[in-house]
Amino acid sequence: MNDLMIQCRGVSKSYFKGKTEVTPLEALDLDVPRGEFLALMGPSGSGKTTLLNLLSGIDSPTAGSLVIAGEEIAKLSRRQLTAWRAEHVGYIFQLYHLVPVLTAFENVELPLLLSGLSKKERHERVRTALDLVGLGDRMNHAPTELSGGQEQRVAIARAIVADPPLLVADEPTGDLDREAATRILDLLRSLTEDHGKTIVMVTHDAKAAAAADRTLHLEKGQLLENA
Amino acid sequence: MTSILNLLRLSWLQLSRHRVRSLLTLLGVASGMFLFTSVETLQRSLAVATEATAADTTLVVFRENRFCPSTSRLPEHFADEIRRIDGVREVIPVQVVVNNCGTSLDVVAFRGVPTGLLTRYAPEIEIVAGSEAEWAKRDDGALLGEVFAQRRGLSPGDRFDAAGVTVTVSGVLRSPNPQDNNVAYVKLPFLQQASRTGLGVVTQFNVRVENSDDLTAVAAAIDERFESSQAPTDTKPEKAFFAESAAELVELIGFTRWLGVGAVVAVGALVANALLLVVRGRVKENAVLRTLGYPGRAIATLVVSEGGMLGVAGGVAGVALAAGFLHWQSFTMGAEGQTLSIQPDAFVVLSGIAMGLLLGVFASLWPAYQAMRQPIVHSLRN
Repeated sequence: MNDLMIQCRGVSKSYFKGKTEVTPLEALDLDVPRGEFLALMGPSGSGKTTLLNLLSGIDSPTAGSLVIAGEEIAKLSRRQLTAWRAEHVGYIFQLYHLVPVLTAFENVELPLLLSGLSKKERHERVRTALDLVGLGDRMNHAPTELSGGQEQRVAIARAIVADPPLLVADEPTGDLDREAATRILDLLRSLTEDHGKTIVMVTHDAKAAAAADRTLHLEKGQLLENA
Repeated sequence: MTSILNLLRLSWLQLSRHRVRSLLTLLGVASGMFLFTSVETLQRSLAVATEATAADTTLVVFRENRFCPSTSRLPEHFADEIRRIDGVREVIPVQVVVNNCGTSLDVVAFRGVPTGLLTRYAPEIEIVAGSEAEWAKRDDGALLGEVFAQRRGLSPGDRFDAAGVTVTVSGVLRSPNPQDNNVAYVKLPFLQQASRTGLGVVTQFNVRVENSDDLTAVAAAIDERFESSQAPTDTKPEKAFFAESAAELVELIGFTRWLGVGAVVAVGALVANALLLVVRGRVKENAVLRTLGYPGRAIATLVVSEGGMLGVAGGVAGVALAAGFLHWQSFTMGAEGQTLSIQPDAFVVLSGIAMGLLLGVFASLWPAYQAMRQPIVHSLRN
């Protein structure tokens, strides 16, 4: 069995900004083993977020092969990609992006609403996810009643509640103070060590990157070095 | 199915937790549906009063070339001759006195009929308060149609006067014929004297025929019978008579259809605008849902559900307000002695609610299409 969660071969991404063609990623190769916590660093505009979007299946490469969890996702239709995303990827945003009118519990339940699970099963999973991130006692709080760190933990619970094998995180600690950031990084660390999740995290913060198993640097769409 | 219900619940949470926005939209929808229901009630009431059905068996015999009841004078003894014509089941001479012969929103119409003949002529009439015996006892007794009694707040024992006629309420009646519910039935001799018409003279004859297929033939036979008399007649089916006598009213109500169309367009535009704003305000939120694995059609379902819920809730509120208001006011439009009660029925109520739902769903289609077409990456970035 192939133990690679991610296998990129010659992946390029380009798009038009007005009349100018922009190529944030060019002929990129990348392998990420299952259960690895990978940090991606690089200056703004280096293609980090673009790569993350491709890995999470919310964007498609212009060229190249992108095999994730054994599936060539570059060849999937939009509908297939949506279904694949629901099953295989959890996305953690820098600014959490919780639905403001929903409670923590309801936010975490969102990925399960279309899963066909019974209400009882959904609620069990949501409680488990919230307990895992240490917010079992705040499940009925609205996002506005939570601190930034707590909101990000709710967002992580939302990302893991459907039990996807791959988590992608776009600067998950970028909007948090040091203490809250450390707690989030510990949480991500435990998700790889205790639950076998593969994590790809984009960050500008070297201290955050230090929590990962491996750090790659991206510059002008190219992976330059391994750290 | 579970997924659809979950999406509906999510839409409901969005609506119920954006209270001010939802209530303002709902208020707008309810106002539009209030107007729509009022117009539909007018249209429906008019349709019931003027559109012929296979069950119609009533003819109205009026004086030829006369329109206002005060100018139609026919000898009361014509009744005996009409009764002898083939196909006639029953005849009742009627003296009509109205407080206003023109078009009015609060017309009071007295119908004088011979004692004992009313229930024989119209056995479908039901006395819901007081009694027919009480009516028979008093010369100035009146049996009021229930819409009329409600509009004027009258009950048995009360006295009232209109058009120079003072009567005592003996009872309240209910009839499947809307005209009966809007008038005050009094004794014929009493009304002939009170209105100074004189005994032996009536305004019209109401004729029941044995079979609705005979309406035209019997009408022709009646008019032919009195063609050369001093008082030639003009006989028509009751609904055609109403449509002709109250032509101004029919025209006026016909025009209100455009108000209903305007209300529908306004409600549709309001819901569409509200949902477009919602969709624009939720660009990022919808992109997050797409990232979580929600297909575009699920996002569209959320938007359409919100539109449908706003439409139904606004429809129910607007229809309930209109039905309550019209029931409370018991408006009766009248023209040339004909009365039209403006009362919503079950059809109007159900069609109003269904229209609210349809408008809500239809108006949300474009916002839903926009929501499902928003590119995820671009939406997240902006």
